[in-house]
Amino acid sequence: MTLSERERERYKRQILLFGEAGQEKLKQAHIFIAGAGGLGCPVAIYLAVAGIGTITIVDRDVVDQSNLNRQILHADRDIGRKKTASAVEKLRILNPDITVHAIDATIDGSNARKLVGGADGIVDAMDNFPTRYLLNELAHEKKIPFFHGAVRGMYGQAMTVLPGDSPCLACVFPHAPPPEVFPVVGVTPGFIGTVQATEVIKFLTGTGELLAGRLFMWDGLTGRAEEIAVGKDPGCKVCCGTNQKHAKKEK
Amino acid sequence: MSVKIRFFARFRELLGTEAIVEPAPGTSLSGLVRQVAGKNSEGYSAIFDEKGNFREFVIVMRNAKRVDTAGAAEIPVADGDDIAVFPPVAGG
Repeated sequence: MTLSERERERYKRQILLFGEAGQEKLKQAHIFIAGAGGLGCPVAIYLAVAGIGTITIVDRDVVDQSNLNRQILHADRDIGRKKTASAVEKLRILNPDITVHAIDATIDGSNARKLVGGADGIVDAMDNFPTRYLLNELAHEKKIPFFHGAVRGMYGQAMTVLPGDSPCLACVFPHAPPPEVFPVVGVTPGFIGTVQATEVIKFLTGTGELLAGRLFMWDGLTGRAEEIAVGKDPGCKVCCGTNQKHAKKEK
Repeated sequence: MSVKIRFFARFRELLGTEAIVEPAPGTSLSGLVRQVAGKNSEGYSAIFDEKGNFREFVIVMRNAKRVDTAGAAEIPVADGDDIAVFPPVAGG
């Protein structure tokens, strides 16, 4: 899939990083973003402007005024609109050269497989662990990476799961925390969403070192970024004990 | 014996970033966490339930390996251990 003259110009500064071949890989890619909220907005914005060829973004909610401190694809005039309608409109303005599918749906066990379809990776921009576990399992079934991110207050975490190669979400977090209305300021999902988008770009272009087996932890209150090495749980029902094949990795 | 214990996320807000402690020989992993968390009742009850057991979702890592918290009372801490205690963060 070759780049047009217009694309060569648009992506000129990152072609310096990844080469035209790397940019073509981004153009060929299809990324599934689960959620158009605090994390989903910055992830979608940065993947769109980076030239990910196809983005599918799924959300079930309408824009509420209390979303606007962090969900930066949405604005006052979008209050009451579906988040997917608001998101797709802005993403198409940001980059008309890519394809964006916005699907208004609640991700659950009955539709997740079909929604993710043939995507090359799943970005976790959810706000609850049950759906995260579902997508983590689906990533293993489809043998595609799962880019985890989560936030609370000024604290956030991110980790990349490569099925077959690295510990999965259930290895590190076997039990969901109780549900809560979590405090958050927009900079935190902005930061973590950007880390997740960075992971996607690195995976697709085969660049750098992924957060696989490393839980990245950001504490905005103290301005500290730390990481904890994490290993597979030999008893994990999702990623251990079955003959998992490795996620395809572009070289 | 010197052991480092680090808290993250909500636990950090309640119990501070980290502490270097010198536990008595034979102190168990759960005993150590209980001792340090005990300085703040809200912090303690965020990590332990009414019976003094780790809440199910609490993650305890010892030297980068996750520990099954149900068995943490039988694991003695050792000099130089690096213990991390944190909850899963769920917001998006």
